[in-house]
Amino acid sequence: MSLQVIKHGDVVVVEVDGQLIVGNRQELKQRVLDEAEAGARKVLIDFAKAGYIDSSGLGVLVSLAKRLRELGGDLRLANLNDDLQTLFELTKLDSLFQIADTRERALESF
Amino acid sequence: MSDVARVLDAFSEVYGCGAVLWLRGAEAIEVAATSGGDVTPPMIELLGDDETVRSRDTALGRQLVARIPGRTHAWLGIGPVADDDAEPRRWMRVLVPVLSQVLQSQWEASRAADELAERYEEINLLYSISEILGRTVTLEEATRTILLEVAETVGAEYGALFVHDASSGLLRPVTTLRVAGALVPLAIPTDDPLSVTARVFRTRHALLVNAGVLESDLEAPFRQGAMLTVPIVWTTPEGGIPLGVVCLSGRRSGASFTAGDEKLVAAVGSQIGTAIQNARLVRATLDQERLASEMRLAHDLQLRLLPDSRVVAPDAICAARVEAADGVGGDFYHLFRLGDRRTGVLIGDVSSHGYRAALIMALVMSAAAIHAQTTADPAETVQALLATVEEELRETEMFLSLCYVVIDPVAGTVRWTNTGHPHAFVISAGGEATRLAATDPPLGLGPEGLHGDSRPWSAGDLLVMFTDGVSDARDARGAALGEPRVLDVLRARRRELPSRIVDGVFALVEGHMGRMRPHDDQAVVVLRTA
Repeated sequence: MSLQVIKHGDVVVVEVDGQLIVGNRQELKQRVLDEAEAGARKVLIDFAKAGYIDSSGLGVLVSLAKRLRELGGDLRLANLNDDLQTLFELTKLDSLFQIADTRERALESF
Repeated sequence: MSDVARVLDAFSEVYGCGAVLWLRGAEAIEVAATSGGDVTPPMIELLGDDETVRSRDTALGRQLVARIPGRTHAWLGIGPVADDDAEPRRWMRVLVPVLSQVLQSQWEASRAADELAERYEEINLLYSISEILGRTVTLEEATRTILLEVAETVGAEYGALFVHDASSGLLRPVTTLRVAGALVPLAIPTDDPLSVTARVFRTRHALLVNAGVLESDLEAPFRQGAMLTVPIVWTTPEGGIPLGVVCLSGRRSGASFTAGDEKLVAAVGSQIGTAIQNARLVRATLDQERLASEMRLAHDLQLRLLPDSRVVAPDAICAARVEAADGVGGDFYHLFRLGDRRTGVLIGDVSSHGYRAALIMALVMSAAAIHAQTTADPAETVQALLATVEEELRETEMFLSLCYVVIDPVAGTVRWTNTGHPHAFVISAGGEATRLAATDPPLGLGPEGLHGDSRPWSAGDLLVMFTDGVSDARDARGAALGEPRVLDVLRARRRELPSRIVDGVFALVEGHMGRMRPHDDQAVVVLRTA
């Protein structure tokens, strides 16, 4: 997995390329926490290039969402593929996140 | 002198005259070897220090004498020879270098034997240390004995042996000699600019410092005057890796340490280095074996926590199996007879595996056994479970997806609470699979307040639940098995005994994975009511 961080105004966009799994989840967590530490409050994670998220990866997303909400911000998701979309629906995690079809829609939603 | 005697014998046989070799002993010149002929000892004054061939005439004829060059003071005499001694002088020019070479070899062999005898004590020390290190696994046991032996050999009264602690960057004293308890040396940082010990560790070169030179408070407890400090090095094909330092000081004779002492202690340091590394490898191997053993025990223990699937008989027929990916895992199931022919079935997946997940699993298993008997409402049971594990989940950043189903064949209903568990189905007698959809996000992630759901249950319906380790099982190319293929097997075997159905699912999984190891725990539960 590789991460790329891009800033759109006051929104920090994190592009995830590859699988978000137990072995690399801390990398994403630390990256987003570093941005939060630097003042970011609106974070969008773009999964356009991600094919799989395991249960540990889901845990990190929820943990980050909680942290940002505590700081008065929010974590949103975009570009989940069909499998990931189904996973979020089947596990009811779609009730915890605002999920957009595209990055543009996600950016507009903030 | 047997070699010399043989040379002289050969000479006499060929040239028909006698030969004698004189050697200067401690007190006098003595005959060392003779052969044939009649060569009487020469007058002392005939034996010159140069290599000139000298001659003298005797009643038996002329004799020739020459000094043999080399480290040994030796002379060769031959005779009798003809008055015209030109030819015999040529013989001498041939014989003298031969004898010189023989004597030189004998001298070197003798010196080597003497040196060996002189170094016997040191060789014995190295041998003793090899023995000490060879029969011990715990380095601490050996270091004091080694330091004592080395110090005794080089005549040092004070000493200290330090081993490098990579995690702290400190040289820690392992053993000392003649250091009073109150003055036990402290650990020395490897970057200490004043410490000789630290400097030797950094440079990997031995250092001999005289009294009053480079004195450091850190070394005061074990330094008395001049100090010989030598690195302990583990030698690898890529070079030496420093592991510690040996310091010796306070020589009894008052004389300085010598280059020989330095070489000796360096050799000992090299042996200790190998021993340290071996001890560490042995320790790591033992730790690994102990961990593997504990994991096997934990795995057995975990399997014993899972109930026998016959506990729900005669109300239901059930089969279940859990395969842990890491010896101990986070997948589990539980089964309850709830009275009035109702059956409770719980399947869960902790969001990790290994020890921590197994602990959460054990906690949930024990709590579920209590709470399931207090209410037939799945949501209330799971809410009580959440209260039990909530703090643990928060502290470990784990979460728990589970599905708890209560089947009431008398009422013809199935009720469930599903916290983010995707793979729970009722398969009808006709083969239609209906998902028991999640009612809430996984425990530990969602907001408070859990929900429940229900649907009809008919005789001939089959309850099947499995964890994502089954549907996400990967083949050698990384392709997931997928939920649809699992459901195909379940539908195809829906009329078989639950145990055969479970076997069929695992056969599918194993066939898909081939030789790949599972990356996640796998659990399957199949149940039909009687």
